[in-house]
Amino acid sequence: MAAQLFFNGLVTGLLLALPALALTLVFGVLKFANFAVGAMLTLGAYAAWVANVQLGMPLTASAAVAAVTVAGAGLLADQLAFEKLRLRGSISLLVASMGVSLVIENVCRFFFGNASRGFDVALSRPIRWEGLRINQEQITIAITVAVCLVAVDVLLRFTPLGRAMRAVADNASLAAVRGVERRAIARLTWALVGALLGLAGVLAGLDRSIDPLIGWNYQIAIFAAAILGGLGSPIGAVLGALTIGVAEEMSALVIPTNYRQVVSFAVILALLLFRANGLLGAKAARK
Amino acid sequence: MSAIPALSVSGLRAGYGRGDDIVRGITLDQAPETILAVIGPNGSGKSSFVKTLAGLLDIRQGRVSVTGTDVTSETPARRVAAGMAYVPQEANVFPSLTIGENLKLATEFLRGRAGVGPEQREKVLALFPELGARLKTRAGDLSGGQRQMLAFASALLANPEVLLLDEPSAGLSPKIVGQTMEAIVRVRAAGVTVLLVEQNVAAALEIADEAVVLVAGQVSLRDTAPAVRAADLGDMFFAKVA
Repeated sequence: MAAQLFFNGLVTGLLLALPALALTLVFGVLKFANFAVGAMLTLGAYAAWVANVQLGMPLTASAAVAAVTVAGAGLLADQLAFEKLRLRGSISLLVASMGVSLVIENVCRFFFGNASRGFDVALSRPIRWEGLRINQEQITIAITVAVCLVAVDVLLRFTPLGRAMRAVADNASLAAVRGVERRAIARLTWALVGALLGLAGVLAGLDRSIDPLIGWNYQIAIFAAAILGGLGSPIGAVLGALTIGVAEEMSALVIPTNYRQVVSFAVILALLLFRANGLLGAKAARK
Repeated sequence: MSAIPALSVSGLRAGYGRGDDIVRGITLDQAPETILAVIGPNGSGKSSFVKTLAGLLDIRQGRVSVTGTDVTSETPARRVAAGMAYVPQEANVFPSLTIGENLKLATEFLRGRAGVGPEQREKVLALFPELGARLKTRAGDLSGGQRQMLAFASALLANPEVLLLDEPSAGLSPKIVGQTMEAIVRVRAAGVTVLLVEQNVAAALEIADEAVVLVAGQVSLRDTAPAVRAADLGDMFFAKVA
């Protein structure tokens, strides 16, 4: 029982890893907490649902549609809202992201209603391994997230654009006088973050039914994961996501599963009280 | 003096937000391959002036040209491509990037800038040999003097015509200040025009060809460095700001 919960927790953690990484990238590069992270995940789930169920595309192609759609939405939100407020400070941007979140959520509600929906995927038997029950969706989530994390790591560490993103995160003014156009890096960040959240939406849609609140259901855990890891630290976001995922699942041993979000709240509360910079926050703060 | 100044500033006015002008009508030309020291009392607008030249502070009025090219309405990034490099007073390297990454980043986005490439990198690393041996060290782990050298090197990789330095001696020990000033002289000898904003007046005038004294955002005195050194700066430095 405990081993199964731990395994499920790791998969939940992987599911949280992409949106937590997206949240921390926006915080690091664009310097605000993007409250629309859950809504963008919801948009990804619906975009993939339209491609998969209504247009009959395979789930892999639908995931690509979701990534492109949410990347486009991120770029549009940047163009219409965030870019104009960039010099107004992080609180203005946070409030704007709440507005973007409401718009996206209600656009989804307008077009798709409140009914629960699911992808058109073949049912498959779970695999039994060392006493663990592993279903196909969990394998898909694990592989997809692992590939995405490696790709983002390669982008950030070994490419000029990744270096520029890290430089802007360190010191945007200095990056500008080293020839890096902040506007271009902001757009790149939104495209990357949108793609990650689009894919996260597809994975969330595999894990549970799709409705206008699917992203909101993950929102607290995503923030808890990113804060736990230390906002602005990509590795911290992934470690935080895995920790929150395992903690939430393991909490089923002591509290009813309906209350498992309490774990995320408790983590945020504990961090605010005892370690506001998160696990890797000292490093991130030094930047 | 060459017909075209390396740096030309005309009627420059700038300030923060909706506040009053901090830079209040500065006009000056700087000949190529010279060091022009910009000195003045605290709050005289020296750092604001150099930030305005670099494009980090919006110009309200006036004009800035680099070797005859008007860069007044260009972004900071485009000013670098036009030949103007800037080393801020503090936070002048990217601490989470390695020395090698800092140096790479300094040229990766300079499309069309002539003279940027492996040859320039070799020349710059020859000026600062200690950097080449520590390319994998995180810049955040360097001492103040080493950071200053990395900042100079990063700026010089862009093969600038004009190098803007904002108080490079700030926070450094006297020994490191001496090394920093020597490095600036080497930079001039390599053919770069240096505008040196400096609080350490003696050190700046020691290496400068000319100097301007800023008071309340305006040029109060301009002359050769020896003449400014000989002048009585006390009245200017301690005069009430208008």
